[in-house]
Amino acid sequence: MSTWIVVVAAGLGSYLFRLSMIILTSRITMPPYLERASGLVAPAAFAALAAAGVAAACSGRGLTGAAAPLAAVAAAVIAVLRTGSPQAAILVGMPALWVATALLPS
Amino acid sequence: MISLRADRSDIAAGARAMVPWLAGIVPFGLVIGVSAAQADVPTLAGWLTGPLIYAGSAQLATIGMLGAGAAPVVVVASALIINIRLIFYSTTMARYWRGTPWWWRLAAAYLIVDPSVAVGLDGYQRLGRGRGHAHYLGGAVVLWVSWLAAIGAGAMVGARWPTWLHLEFVIPLYLVGQTISKLANPAQRQAILAAATVALLALSAPLQLGVAMAIAAGVAAGLAAEVRR
Repeated sequence: MSTWIVVVAAGLGSYLFRLSMIILTSRITMPPYLERASGLVAPAAFAALAAAGVAAACSGRGLTGAAAPLAAVAAAVIAVLRTGSPQAAILVGMPALWVATALLPS
Repeated sequence: MISLRADRSDIAAGARAMVPWLAGIVPFGLVIGVSAAQADVPTLAGWLTGPLIYAGSAQLATIGMLGAGAAPVVVVASALIINIRLIFYSTTMARYWRGTPWWWRLAAAYLIVDPSVAVGLDGYQRLGRGRGHAHYLGGAVVLWVSWLAAIGAGAMVGARWPTWLHLEFVIPLYLVGQTISKLANPAQRQAILAAATVALLALSAPLQLGVAMAIAAGVAAGLAAEVRR
């Protein structure tokens, strides 16, 4: 039940954000530091979720079990750095994960 | 105000202007659909983040944190922190929508998100307010339909593919790709390094508060880096 409430509450809050300044714009001025901070939220959130996601994939699998996801992440990082394309992370990382999972002992 | 017949060419131009954005957005929608199917939440609830939250990173965070068992209040707070940029988009669009009917402001505001604002602003600056409304609507509706279709397709694929493919790992890899590509900017680099470090240190934080703490630490580190420059 709480899943549905969370999705609706996050959706309602997001809609109020969208509507807020269209209603209030003549009365409120946003501070500039808040505008700068908003540009940093997405990179910070992506980094936090990426780190937590990789850690979750490695947890409880022991040192050798964690090697395959870590190898896939390393391949993905190298691919993005070499190509400059974020999509290379999935295109290279997933095949690397399958190969590493097949070759490394679990 | 908009007349669908008279403004047909401007609506079509807005839709065409959105097409290049879809190349980057559709894969993101597919990833969110896959995460909705793989996470420990009802797939329909995951898909509903599309029409209700309608902002990719907040949707991904919501699905991921719900799947990890985070406390509801932490999930909602994290999604809203991520979406705080919508307030700035709201400020940006308000100047063009002043004096328009209430129904237009309520509907147009719902469609505010990064690509629709970018395409919409371009239309307002080139075509003026009247024709700009039609241009915004054309781009925003194409984006909305494509986004929900991509999430739906991802959810279907994610639910049916064999487990040995480890499709759930698409999401961390997608995030790694997005993160690495932002390292060139010094403030964003500091935000990324701080957020990733705190997320790893706070893995066992209660209520899955680690991600929210990491976002706060990342933003603080990024702002500090901007002040030092």
